[in-house]
Amino acid sequence: MSDATDKVYICRCEEVTKEEIEQAIREGATTLTGIKKRTHAGMGLCQGRTCRKLISGMLAGKKEPAEIIPPTSRPPVRTAKISEFVEEDEV
Amino acid sequence: MTRKADVVVIGGGVIGTAVAYYLSKRGKKVMVTERYDHASGASGSCDQMIILQSKNPGIHLKLALASGEMYQTLARELEYDIEYHNRGGMILIENESELKIMEDFVARQKQIGLQVEILERKDAAKLQRGLAEHLVGSTYSPQDAHVNSIRLNLGFARAATKLGAEILLETEVTGIILKGDQVEGVETTQGPIHAPVVINAAGAWAPQIGRMVGLDIPIKPRRGQIIITEPVPPYVTGDVLSAQYIVAKYNPDLIKNSESRAIQLGVGLALSQTEKGNILIGATREFVGYDVKTTREGIKEILKNATRLVPGLKEINFIRTMGGLRPYTPDGLPLLGPVKGLEGFIMAAGHEGDGIALAPVTGKIIADLVMDGKTFMDVEALNPNRFAPGS
Ligand SMILES: Cc1cc2nc3c(=O)[nH]c(=O)nc-3n(C[C@H](O)[C@H](O)[C@H](O)COP(=O)(O)OP(=O)(O)OC[C@H]3O[C@@H](n4cnc5c(N)ncnc54)[C@H](O)[C@@H]3O)c2cc1C
Repeated sequence: MSDATDKVYICRCEEVTKEEIEQAIREGATTLTGIKKRTHAGMGLCQGRTCRKLISGMLAGKKEPAEIIPPTSRPPVRTAKISEFVEEDEV
Repeated sequence: MTRKADVVVIGGGVIGTAVAYYLSKRGKKVMVTERYDHASGASGSCDQMIILQSKNPGIHLKLALASGEMYQTLARELEYDIEYHNRGGMILIENESELKIMEDFVARQKQIGLQVEILERKDAAKLQRGLAEHLVGSTYSPQDAHVNSIRLNLGFARAATKLGAEILLETEVTGIILKGDQVEGVETTQGPIHAPVVINAAGAWAPQIGRMVGLDIPIKPRRGQIIITEPVPPYVTGDVLSAQYIVAKYNPDLIKNSESRAIQLGVGLALSQTEKGNILIGATREFVGYDVKTTREGIKEILKNATRLVPGLKEINFIRTMGGLRPYTPDGLPLLGPVKGLEGFIMAAGHEGDGIALAPVTGKIIADLVMDGKTFMDVEALNPNRFAPGS
């Protein structure tokens, strides 16, 4: 494989390359969460909305799609300012 | 296929992989079985503190000091960036009664050899910006540090693998193979593994492994919820805790009848910033079984407490929350070493809120005990048989 294809960014928020994701898969990651732990892909501001599909595609060779457990993105799905959350019911 | 090893380690969290690394280093053929993946238990959903000064003066602090020492060269030894930073730590003090307790705590810690002092508010404010006006001061220790727990976990696993260990992910232990009272291996979802030594490093799930051999292990899952902010420029320099948390941890009677929701949820400030700039804000301490969900109430109480102590945090956005299960023990100390009456069965679990700080020293102690039957410090207080009736 040429360098050009290796430098493809899969997760743009955290600047994770295709090669780093392939390496994580070689080290035993079989789920989106496993990829996230090893590379930080999907941990950025968009919380994986862009890269999830691409990474699932790369994992698809490893496992049945139904087995690819969705990662644990937890509330809040959108960013929230701490002050707004704390003061929300104090008005 | 039947697999064979010198030692089987159950659990691929920081403790299991640390044990695997130090045993491999001493020449043992180790197999680690992990039900899901590394960092899928507490080791992947926790704070990152190697905080020495939160430890009770005594064996707990001695363990932390030994571990803190090992951390200084660990990244080099593992040949892996674990994002270790030695930036010190402080415990925020809110009133005179907390100050009195902390003065005593600090004096006893100094006797054991920790560098720690009490700062007035104005000096504390030089070390950490955004502090609340009402604080009376803080403690400070230059020896506190932090580390990326996930990278620590992966780093131990990689280094162990390089030394010949085999790590079986997605492999759940379903039974222990016994011959009389001698352990002979484990049954797993991927077939049996034969080994004369089996190490239970299953964290909050260690009691489930214990039940497979009729042991009643007094570890309970204690949930902690944490909030993660967006990456921001350096804001939290070292580790920041609150004295309220230390007071509650070591004097549970003082708050037993409190009506405050925050206190009932065990909320105590834990603040630190990752290399990428995300601030981790913790945490609750709750007994809710094996439930790792985060709750709106828990998150709100953590944030209220954090902004009361560090109002400067208010303008920051948070992007994620997570919950993890600390392996709680009744006396706050881990269970390390051989179990009486079960030849070859060794415990390495129960680190509650300190497993990241104590991972290196735990790995070393267990490796020493397996290889030599003794270790460099007196670990009788960690003897796993201490809770057995009649002991
Ligand atoms: C909110 C929070 C904040 C914390 N902050 C800090 C901190 O700042 N500093 C610090 O030092 N500590 C901290 N801790 C504590 C620390 O996270 C734990 O003490 C440590 O991670 C425990 O590691 P472990 O390897 O024993 O357990 P775990 O990481 O839980 O690993 C146990 C593993 O065993 C596996 N397992 C279970 N059953 C089986 C089976 N049958 N077969 C195979 N595998 C199995 C699990 O899947 C799991 O991966 C915190 C914890 C929480 C929850």
